[in-house]
Amino acid sequence: MKTITLNLKKKSPISLEFDELIPDKVFDWEQADFENYQVPIGNSRFPLTDYFDIEVEGTAAGPEEVKMILEGDMGRVKYIGSKMGAGEIIVNGDADLHCGAHMKGGSITVNGNAESYAGREMEGGELTVMGNTREFCGCSYIGDWRGMSGGKITIHGSAGKQLGECLSGGEIYVKGDCDILAGIHMTKGFIQIDGDVTRWPGGQMKNGNILINGKLGRLLEGFVQDGIVTDPEIEGKSFSGKYIKYTGDIALSGKGGLYLNAEKNRDLL
Amino acid sequence: MEYILKNGIVYDPTNKVEGEKKDVMFKDGKIVSQVSSDAKVLDVTDKIVMPAGVDPHAHVAGPKLVVGRLYRPEDSRKGVTSKTAVTRSETGFSIPSCPATGYRYSRMGYGTVVEAAMPPLEAKHTHEEIMAIPNIDIPPLPLFGNNWFVLQYAKENQIDELAAFISSWLKIVKGYGIKIVNPCGSEAWGWGMNVHGLDDPAPYWDVTSREVLKALSKANEMLGLPHSIHVHPNDLGHPGNFPTTVGTMDCVKGIEKGSGVRNQTIHITHAQFHSYGGTSWRDAESGADAVADYINSNDHVTCDVGQITLDETTTMTADAPMEFDLHQLNGLKWANKDIELETAAGIVPFIYSGKAPVSSLQWAIGLELFLKIENPWQVCLTTDHPNAGPFIRYPRIISWLMSSERRQEMMDNKEVHPWSHRRTSLATLDREYDFNDIAIISRAAPAKIYGFEDRGQLSVGTNADIAVYDLNPNDIDPSKNPAAIEKAFGNAMYTIKDGQILVKDGEVVQVKPSHTIWTNVQGFEEQEKKVMEEVMPTFTKYYTVKFENYKVHDHYAPYPIEVNVQAGK
Amino acid sequence: MAYEEPITDYDKIVENCTCAFCGCNCDDLDFLVKDGHVVGVRHACRLGASKVMEDMDQRLMVPMVRDETGELVEVDWETALDKAAELIAGAVRPIFYGWSETSIETMKHGIRLGELVGAVLDNQATICHGPSLQAVQNVGYPVMTLGEVKNRADMCVYTGSNPMNSHPRHLARYSTFPRGYFRQRGRFDRTVVTMDPKYSDTAKMSDIWVGFEQNGDYEFYNAIRAVLKGKELKKDVISGIPKEDIYELTEAMKNTQFGALFFGLGLTHTLSKQRNIDIAIQMVADLNKYTKWVLMPMRGHFNVNGFNIFMAYEMGFPYGVDFARGYPRYMNGETNTIDLLTRKECDVFMVIAADPGAHYPGGAVKHLAEIPVIQIDIHWGPSTEIADVVLPGSFIGVECGGTSYRMDGVPIFMKKAIDKPETCRDDEWIVNELLQRVTKIKAEKEAIASK
Repeated sequence: MKTITLNLKKKSPISLEFDELIPDKVFDWEQADFENYQVPIGNSRFPLTDYFDIEVEGTAAGPEEVKMILEGDMGRVKYIGSKMGAGEIIVNGDADLHCGAHMKGGSITVNGNAESYAGREMEGGELTVMGNTREFCGCSYIGDWRGMSGGKITIHGSAGKQLGECLSGGEIYVKGDCDILAGIHMTKGFIQIDGDVTRWPGGQMKNGNILINGKLGRLLEGFVQDGIVTDPEIEGKSFSGKYIKYTGDIALSGKGGLYLNAEKNRDLL
Repeated sequence: MEYILKNGIVYDPTNKVEGEKKDVMFKDGKIVSQVSSDAKVLDVTDKIVMPAGVDPHAHVAGPKLVVGRLYRPEDSRKGVTSKTAVTRSETGFSIPSCPATGYRYSRMGYGTVVEAAMPPLEAKHTHEEIMAIPNIDIPPLPLFGNNWFVLQYAKENQIDELAAFISSWLKIVKGYGIKIVNPCGSEAWGWGMNVHGLDDPAPYWDVTSREVLKALSKANEMLGLPHSIHVHPNDLGHPGNFPTTVGTMDCVKGIEKGSGVRNQTIHITHAQFHSYGGTSWRDAESGADAVADYINSNDHVTCDVGQITLDETTTMTADAPMEFDLHQLNGLKWANKDIELETAAGIVPFIYSGKAPVSSLQWAIGLELFLKIENPWQVCLTTDHPNAGPFIRYPRIISWLMSSERRQEMMDNKEVHPWSHRRTSLATLDREYDFNDIAIISRAAPAKIYGFEDRGQLSVGTNADIAVYDLNPNDIDPSKNPAAIEKAFGNAMYTIKDGQILVKDGEVVQVKPSHTIWTNVQGFEEQEKKVMEEVMPTFTKYYTVKFENYKVHDHYAPYPIEVNVQAGK
Repeated sequence: MAYEEPITDYDKIVENCTCAFCGCNCDDLDFLVKDGHVVGVRHACRLGASKVMEDMDQRLMVPMVRDETGELVEVDWETALDKAAELIAGAVRPIFYGWSETSIETMKHGIRLGELVGAVLDNQATICHGPSLQAVQNVGYPVMTLGEVKNRADMCVYTGSNPMNSHPRHLARYSTFPRGYFRQRGRFDRTVVTMDPKYSDTAKMSDIWVGFEQNGDYEFYNAIRAVLKGKELKKDVISGIPKEDIYELTEAMKNTQFGALFFGLGLTHTLSKQRNIDIAIQMVADLNKYTKWVLMPMRGHFNVNGFNIFMAYEMGFPYGVDFARGYPRYMNGETNTIDLLTRKECDVFMVIAADPGAHYPGGAVKHLAEIPVIQIDIHWGPSTEIADVVLPGSFIGVECGGTSYRMDGVPIFMKKAIDKPETCRDDEWIVNELLQRVTKIKAEKEAIASK
């Protein structure tokens, strides 16, 4: 096990880009390699050591044996863990844009908030955000109708707009509240929101399932009520309680499932 | 600057040179028969030397390219490369950016690419893109098949006026020849409709595709344009469309050819999409036999294939109603652009997969056409880029044409779905193209078909547009080495354009601006003046721009090659 | 309104000039010129005419640099250009913004400069129709040239757009009033519908006004699509519109011969932003199963579309293109100007033919006030107040020729009618000068570094 700890000593106003510092690329790096590394900032590169004190302990035969700990406010460090295939990254602070984007495996834990695009185009692995995240969590690259296709995202706080946009596989769990248009354009996969949702989940969805345990503000006409289900089983997962089930978005003859907690959403019955 | 390419194995079909070891010499951008002792020697011993490639039909410059790029950032992102000392960044896979287009053609040893469809109202845009594409020369073909003035003249059978209209418009928009797409159908699309077959009249105008084709062909020959009418027949992509295709080729038979620089009076483009039998996608089968038979028995026709490459690509064409149908079929995002008084266009991404029965059928039909059309001078290598696949796949297609074994392997290995052999006769065709055939379908024939007298051949006085490929034709058996063939044709050892070395060992080493090639008809001035007076009132009333602002100013073609023709000779 | 005498005192008329204001790019303007100055404009609307006629109002006439006391002082061109080039060459996160009111020819030099230094190139779409382009990227773009509407349309719908104020000649020259080939009775052959929470000036002259509630666009179009699919609406009122009205409207839209939907910032800037346009585009695609429908974003500047088209053909992306890593990247929220400014990442800002001081959100302007700003423009404006280097340009379409692209993508070459003031320079020249100077600075730096 190789543990790489990066302690923030100076925060850069221009964001650092960490796409080259993922376990897959640095598992065989020693202290000196990090100290020689020039990190991309804007149109230039600057020594990583200007911003971080680095400690490297242990050895790793491959990325799966790497644990990276980022200590401090990573609010200006983008692309943490992006495209990684194995290994573990822990961020003890906030994370900037694209945290876990294109992840194929391994795990990332953010003990803080994550900026937009967390888990974008994820294919595998696990991303956990203890705080909140903003727009486009678990989404696609703009224009591509195929988005996140695998892996698991858990947001302990709340999520912003367009959660899981174009979702084509994988699972997203939000313990807190969620903003508009969760699951818009989704074709496959599962979204569960335990808190309240403002408006219009599942807009233009073709397939997949969304389960909401809190209160929904506004529902789209594109969803047709099927009835009440008790203790439903969705994609092999069991849920207890009564849910109002809808099918939609019928504007595209969608067969997506939308489950709303019956108790909290009595006004829709 | 003088150069001598020494000891190459030369394929120059126009001059009947078929794999002869000889030197090729050029000076100041032209092929010459001798050079002084100061000439720089490029040792290409035992390597293949051919004229630089000529692509007779691709969509590389123009408004629908931009709509495609703009609305498919996911495609742009795919082809991104970092800038180098010589080249700018490239973007795009199926729809490359302008710089990327130039570099990628150049790397394959190409020197000339015809922009297959230019809407006259937006011609300046096409020319701006030509200016942004380096290293290749581009003749654009303006669209005429759904133009209101053309429809009117065709209906009234006013060929003289139509010819004068065409000759004026070629000057106004700096176009090379006459492009016709789904005649009458794209005008019907102005109302959300289409036409089917040659005798279905366009709504309101009440003129049929047959009438439009004949009228434009007669006008084309009256003007003596270097290229014949270039036709995308009606019913593209529909099972059972091959009779329309044969009918299209046949309807202009008998019209007398008015130019001595080419053999054909009609060029059918991306014939693969027009060679389907059956009645629906359930019973669809190959219609290639009928199309190939007709071409084999008729000298007045040439074609290019539009070969499927089994990629995720973007379809884009002036056959707008067909694109809407395609969108209904695959549900992917649809773009459309109707152009007042002139034409229309549609764009839809498409995934051709070897796992899919229909894609595999289409793949096989294209290959059937290549293998069944006997005379390589009547068939050209294209993918109707990007419709059937991106042009960077030409080397792969070449490798398939040269190896029956590889084709069979793909069918046996299930790299393509069984429909590829169950619904076509591809498995029975073991013909293999040799290097001379390849030189014909990718250089000599397209040049002849377009009436280019300065390229596509290595004659004294023609452009020093030359490609050298790292292959020894005496050593390699293409039939057994498709991967090596694809690699070599995709990474030219040398690409020389106008005597300058632009590519060395597959890398772009120099960038130069492209030429715009257009046709300037002389001797029709009186008729043009008269036609313009007739046309002006309608133009002023119904277009939304002023005529003065409509034309393509000279500064949009800073490096023009004007091809002058004497009308009515 | 007081009666004004027709202008009779002019030397010549320059015909068929193109307007340099909104995205209509009206190319039928006649400029009445006297003593090298435009004294009258024919055929333009009030917006276009005022821009041409007031060209000397608060005109930037000389290059200026802000000195140590914080005042802008006149300097010569060499000094100003050198200062600007120095700032650009030394920047780590430069943004070159604007472009929508200059020519394609100017942009050609600008993109080379951006590629050279690794800058972000962005234009007004980022604060305007960016969401429209994003929606287009998600679901498609069924558009047409304006003449198709003139000649064929029997229903024109304006949603989230108030052309009577923003594009005054849109209905007059292109969509509603003209006698089209198939609509010879002009206005009487067409139905005009305005969909807008407010009873705008356009709504006042429409046949139907659908006043859905603010932020209700997405739900409203979703309901129309559901009705097209045969669904009976559950709620009695959707987004403030009674369901009977939605049924009626949907029927009317299905039964028209040729419908055109024009949309503007009412869709791009309200709650669901690009999803409003996303669903409107899908609605238009749905309607095409029944009859002919097209749509068009109402672009606000004469070359905002031009920049998007230019960037797309050069580098595959329409706006917000970041060259920092040596290749182009496009990522909304990361490579757009407003985000880079509110996150305080930008360290040098060049604005050409735009007025961020007037149009940007407060947080962004605040950061602009703290960093070096280079302005290339023809008029003094709020941006000049925060600029550190001011380079006076020329007026495209009046003093200088240039290519522009109309809202529907039709390219127009805007002609030159008069000479520019002697102390000003063409935009193209200015940006090219910056490119040459920055290239020189970078070459010198590299030569030193390699020693």
